[in-house]
Amino acid sequence: MTGINITQLDKVYDSGTENVVAVEDLSVEIDHGEFLVLVGPSGCGKSTTLRCLAGLEDVTDGSIRFGDTDVTDRRASERDVAMVFQNYALYPHMTVRGNIGFGLKLSTKLTGDEIEEKVESVAEMLGISELLDEKPKALSGGQQQRVALGRAIVREPSVFLMDEPLSNLDAKLRSDMRTELQELQADLDVTTVYVTHDQTEAMAMGDRIAVMDGGVLQQVGSPEEVYRSPVNQFVADFIGSPSINLFTADVEGDTLRGPGGFAYELDDPEPVGERSRVRVGIRPEDITVVDAGRNAADVTVVEPMGNENFLYMEMGDHELTARVRPAVRPAEETEVSFDFDEAALYLFDAETGDALKTKTDAVDTAVVGTAEN
Amino acid sequence: MATSDETDDRVGETYRRRAGARVRNATRQVKRAARPVWDRVRFARQDVTAATPTLPRVAYLFIAPFFILFGLFLAFPVFYTVYLSFFEYQGVGEGSLFWVDLGPLYVEIPQIAQLSFIGLGNYARLLGNDLFWQSMFNTSYILAIQVPLMIGLALALALALNASFMRLKGVFRTAIALPVSANLVAYSTVFLLLFNEQLGFLNYVLAGVGVGPVPWLTDAFWARNTIIAAVTWRWTGYNMIILLAGLQTIPQQLYEAAEIDGASRWEKFRYVTLPQLKPVLLFVVVLSTIGTFKLFAEPYVITGGGPTNSTITIVQYIYRQAFVNFNLGYASALTVVFVAIVSVFSIVQIKIGGED
Repeated sequence: MTGINITQLDKVYDSGTENVVAVEDLSVEIDHGEFLVLVGPSGCGKSTTLRCLAGLEDVTDGSIRFGDTDVTDRRASERDVAMVFQNYALYPHMTVRGNIGFGLKLSTKLTGDEIEEKVESVAEMLGISELLDEKPKALSGGQQQRVALGRAIVREPSVFLMDEPLSNLDAKLRSDMRTELQELQADLDVTTVYVTHDQTEAMAMGDRIAVMDGGVLQQVGSPEEVYRSPVNQFVADFIGSPSINLFTADVEGDTLRGPGGFAYELDDPEPVGERSRVRVGIRPEDITVVDAGRNAADVTVVEPMGNENFLYMEMGDHELTARVRPAVRPAEETEVSFDFDEAALYLFDAETGDALKTKTDAVDTAVVGTAEN
Repeated sequence: MATSDETDDRVGETYRRRAGARVRNATRQVKRAARPVWDRVRFARQDVTAATPTLPRVAYLFIAPFFILFGLFLAFPVFYTVYLSFFEYQGVGEGSLFWVDLGPLYVEIPQIAQLSFIGLGNYARLLGNDLFWQSMFNTSYILAIQVPLMIGLALALALALNASFMRLKGVFRTAIALPVSANLVAYSTVFLLLFNEQLGFLNYVLAGVGVGPVPWLTDAFWARNTIIAAVTWRWTGYNMIILLAGLQTIPQQLYEAAEIDGASRWEKFRYVTLPQLKPVLLFVVVLSTIGTFKLFAEPYVITGGGPTNSTITIVQYIYRQAFVNFNLGYASALTVVFVAIVSVFSIVQIKIGGED
């Protein structure tokens, strides 16, 4: 049983003249067999964290434990991890067979026949048996990806580390591989840490998601948790596509007054407290276009997606996005009224960005049930 | 829709803002200010292009200079050398090879040399000539020691300079590569002085630690090693720079993958560095082999081919035959054989090292 326990991890790059803090005071516990996704914008420290786990970077402070073993000062090869790189990092002069078997050849006492057998069974699992004698450059991106996965799987490591492994694939292949990777991980039951900048990928794949920004861990939780109950404005903004609508509103009594004449009277003003200004967040899917609503905005662009429409609107000088049923298709350059549930409303502190109120509306379980089919 | 552009602009603007690209906009503003001038230049160029009539086959005119120069200074001498190797040179030519009389225009090609045809006589002569075999042996001896030594050294230096812990990389890189800029004759003369048996600095230092004078230039064994030392000093840095450039193109992730696969330092060198560096290494080996085969200036200046022809190289032998003894036909035959040997060497090296 190998869970991962990261305690107060710091990683500081010393460039001689200045110190760059890449990761600050990061603590997270990952259960055995869990699929944890580290997600965040470029430069948020997610890759650095992964590389610290792999042993490719020294840790400045803090500790990393795999199961009961402290691996903080161990070399990468002594940690029993396997890593899949973004550009696959296959050895170009070796055949697929050589690539997959290389780790076993170097770090185990298996005989040549045993290695051969393992390589072949892994290749079969990944559907690349007929490619075993090819060199990497003869393979397509998707096939190279499978070889890189094979190289990781064949080692039977206690931890999988994946650094944006799907981002070099085209969109269709990426979503196929996403599913396949999840099934594979569930079958193998190996603790996996997966880095991506793509929040959709994070939501789709992770048992839990760890959102990072500026080297600091913002929130760890299930996809639903980070979506419905973000701890701050950053998480709310980063998770969800299209992004949440955010704007600043003045508080007048129980009423929020935003740009372009936006006004909303809160049924429950308690989360706002004594604040005179708050940041208001409304998810595009929570906006409903109605005949007569409390607020209005000018539609600038309608993007029909087939199963839904995206409305890009302007409320004063503020951009507003709504995600509506395909039947709702107002003409461009017209004014529409919209409404939303207070239960779906997010409120954040205007200065710190901390969440004051998050989604409290009930999840429609009936919809979840039908989606299974 | 009169305002669709405007709408697109606004939507685009939003995406840009969300991407946080205000900085890019600012630099764009600055560039925009200098634009009208460049626009006018571009328009003028386009006008000229449009006004210029297109001549048929004008492209041939443009590529002609290369072919004329190539023919005159490369192709002709090469073929003439092969031609010469079947003749015995007897003196400067007299009279015309041929002439064209076109009334006002009279073109005459003078005969280059007086030659008498001897078939394969020159080739037969070189096979039976001791000095030819001696110079071949000297060249091969120097080659066999100097090229592996130099490339090993260059690779070691390149690896050291490429290591992450190395400080002052730029300084070392420049210092090691500097000998390349040394003039051949000048540096050879310096070596001649350093290695002088009686007055040389090297023997002076050796005497300081109690070692008797080494006959650097007057003993066959030492003279060859002196030449090897000189050539190695001059060319190691050059090869190191090429190898260093090759090392820097190796993706870091391959080393990381190897690290996770459990590779030791040696195994990383063996399984990542060497195979990745192979094309560059091959290039360096082929180039160095050809370079050392062509060795001339160093033995010419430092040892003069001596003592008793023990450092005379093949090119030096050709030079003597051609420009001291004026055996141009024989020298041409030697050149043909020399080129054939170098070519075979290079082809074999590329065949061995160049698969995949």
